[in-house]
Amino acid sequence: MLTQRENSVLSSIQRLKARVTPTGGFSPTGSSREDRPDATAWAILLLAAVHPGSELLEPARTRLVHYQLNDGRVVISLNYPEVFWPTALAILAWHPSPAHQVYQTKAVEFLLNTTGKHWIRTSDSPVAHDTALRGWPWIEHTHSWVEATALAMLALYTVGRGEHARVKEAIALLLDRQLPHGGWNYGNTLVFGHELWPSPEDTGAALTALAGQVAEAAVQRSLEYLATRVTRIRTPIALGWSLLGLKAWGKLPKDAHAWIEETLRRESRYGEYDTASLCLLLASQVELQGLSPRH
Amino acid sequence: MSSSSYWGIRLTRRELLLATLASGALLGSGVSFLRWLIDSPLASATTFIGRADSYDADIRGIILRGLNELGVTATHLRGKRILLKPNLVETHEGAPHINTHPHVVRGAIEAFLSLGAESVVIGEGPGHRRDTLEVLEASGLGSLLYEDRIPFLNVNYETGIQVPNRGGQSRLSTLTFPRVVQDVDWIVSMAKLKTHHWAGATLAMKNLFGIMPGLYYGWPKNVLHQAGIPQTIVDITATLRPHLAIVDGIVGMEGDGPIMGTPVQVGAIIMGRNFPAVDATCCRIMGIDPYKIRYLRMADQWLGPIHEGQIEQRGELISTVQKPFALIDAIPAHRGIRLR
Repeated sequence: MLTQRENSVLSSIQRLKARVTPTGGFSPTGSSREDRPDATAWAILLLAAVHPGSELLEPARTRLVHYQLNDGRVVISLNYPEVFWPTALAILAWHPSPAHQVYQTKAVEFLLNTTGKHWIRTSDSPVAHDTALRGWPWIEHTHSWVEATALAMLALYTVGRGEHARVKEAIALLLDRQLPHGGWNYGNTLVFGHELWPSPEDTGAALTALAGQVAEAAVQRSLEYLATRVTRIRTPIALGWSLLGLKAWGKLPKDAHAWIEETLRRESRYGEYDTASLCLLLASQVELQGLSPRH
Repeated sequence: MSSSSYWGIRLTRRELLLATLASGALLGSGVSFLRWLIDSPLASATTFIGRADSYDADIRGIILRGLNELGVTATHLRGKRILLKPNLVETHEGAPHINTHPHVVRGAIEAFLSLGAESVVIGEGPGHRRDTLEVLEASGLGSLLYEDRIPFLNVNYETGIQVPNRGGQSRLSTLTFPRVVQDVDWIVSMAKLKTHHWAGATLAMKNLFGIMPGLYYGWPKNVLHQAGIPQTIVDITATLRPHLAIVDGIVGMEGDGPIMGTPVQVGAIIMGRNFPAVDATCCRIMGIDPYKIRYLRMADQWLGPIHEGQIEQRGELISTVQKPFALIDAIPAHRGIRLR
C-alpha cells in the first residue's frame, strides 16, 4: 500500500514521463514538444531519486550534452551561449553516470574558472553588499546573484569540490548577502540605505547551500524567517526551495507534505506546473542528488 | 491599428502618404522607415488623464472613456487578442503600492472585452522573484483572475524569440521577447506611477523590463542593467512597439521607489498610445521634469514627443491631479529632476 506521499510523487513522475521528447530530453511544459536543458536536468534529478534504473535517464543525460559548448558551459539554447546558468543543474543531473563523467568534468572546470562581474565597492556605493566577492551569475558578464551561486555550490559539493577556494568564497558571498533581519532575496541587501525584503525561494536556496558549511547561529534569523513564512506558501518554486532549505537544517515542517498536496491541487487554478517547478516542489519528499542534507 | 495612427502619432492622410512614399527611398539608403517617421517633426500625441479617487471607482468606465478619447473604438479591438502587462515586482505585507492594483487590471480586462476583444491574457515576469505565482497570489491579482477566468502567463519561463534590437541605444544587438508577443494583436503596458532609484521614474516604458524572460535575462534582469538602464528601456520600447499604456496613478509611490518608497494618493489613471508622451505626462503629474529623465530625453522626438506643447491633453488637466512626489537627494537619479 503506497502512502499518500509516495502516491503524489509517483503520479507526478508519470506526468513527467509524458514530457519526454523524441530527443530524449524533457520539455518545460506539458504542451511543448521541444526539450530544454533546465527542464531535462530537473526531470533527471527527480526520476533518478525515484526510479534510478529508469531507461529514460541515460538518453536524457546524453541530450544535455547537446547544450554543452567547448569550454564546458551548458547553455539554455545554442542561440544563447551567454546564458549558462543550466551548467550547475547539468552537473547534478550527470552525477554519477560514468558515461557522462567527461562532460561533467568539463562543466565543473567551467564553473571553477567562471565568475560574475565584480568590483571593489567604493565609499559612495548605493549598495551595501561586498561587490568584490565572487559567486556565480545567471548570465555571462553580469553580477553574481544568490540562487545562481547556491546552485553552483551544490553542484560542486556533489563532485567533491566543496573545499575549493571558489566554494569558500561563495560561502562568504552568501553570508554577506544575508539580510540583516534574516533571509535572502535575489542578492541585494541594502540599497541607498534601505534594507530590502527577503524572498522564500532565495532564502531556501541559500540555506540549502550553506547547510553543513556554517554554524546554525550564522543563519538563525533566516531559519526563523523561513519557518514562519513557509506556512503561507502554496506555490511550487517558493515552497519547494523553502522546504529544501529547512530540511537541509533538519527542520522540515511536519505539515510539509500537506502543503505540497495543496500546492499540487492548485494546478487547477494555474494550469499544469512547468517541469522545473514540479520537480522542485517534490524535491523535499525524495532524496535528490546534491540537494539532500549533507550532514 | 488605425491606418492614420502609428504609435499614437497622429498623421493626416497626406502626411501618411508622404511618409509611405518616403519610406521606399529611405529604406534604400539604410535608414529605417520607423526612425524616419518618428524623427519627423510631424509628431504629436494625445494623452488622457482620468480621475479615480479610489480603487472602488468605476475603473472600467474610466478606461473606456480614455480609449474613446484616444480614438480607440470597438472597430479597432473587435476580435483582437490583448496582452496586458501589469507591474508586479514583488510583494510585501502592507505595501500594495508596489504593484499595479488588481482592480485596475480588472477594469482594463472588462473594458477590452466589452469592446469586442477576442481574448485577454495577463503576462508578467517579475525581476526580483523566481516564483512568479507567489507574487501573483500575494498581490491579490491571482484570485481576481481566477474569479474572472482570465489566463495568466509567467513570461519569465517562456521560450523566447530573438529579434534585432531596433532601438540601437545599448550594445545589445538582439532582444529576446516571450513567444506570446507574436500571438497577440495588442500589447498594453499597465504600469504604476512610481519614482525609481536608478531611472528616476518607472512608468509605461520601464514597465516593459518585466516582459523580458528571466530565463535569458536573469533574476534580477541584470543583463539589461549592465547594458544601461535608460538605453535598454528605449531599445525595448522601440523594438516591441507596444500599443497602449495605462498607468495606475490612483495610489503611486514616492521616495525610494520602485520597492521601498511610500504610498502617495494621486487619484489618476493616465493613458495614451505614445509611450514617451504618456511617461512625460506622468512625470509632470509627479512634479518631475521629463527632460531630466534620461530615457525620455533619449526617446524625445524619436519615439515620441515629451514636450508639453506637443502632447494634446484629454480628460483632466495635469494641474488638477499634479502632486509633487518626494525625491531623495542621496539618490543620484533623483537629483535635479524636480519640475520648475
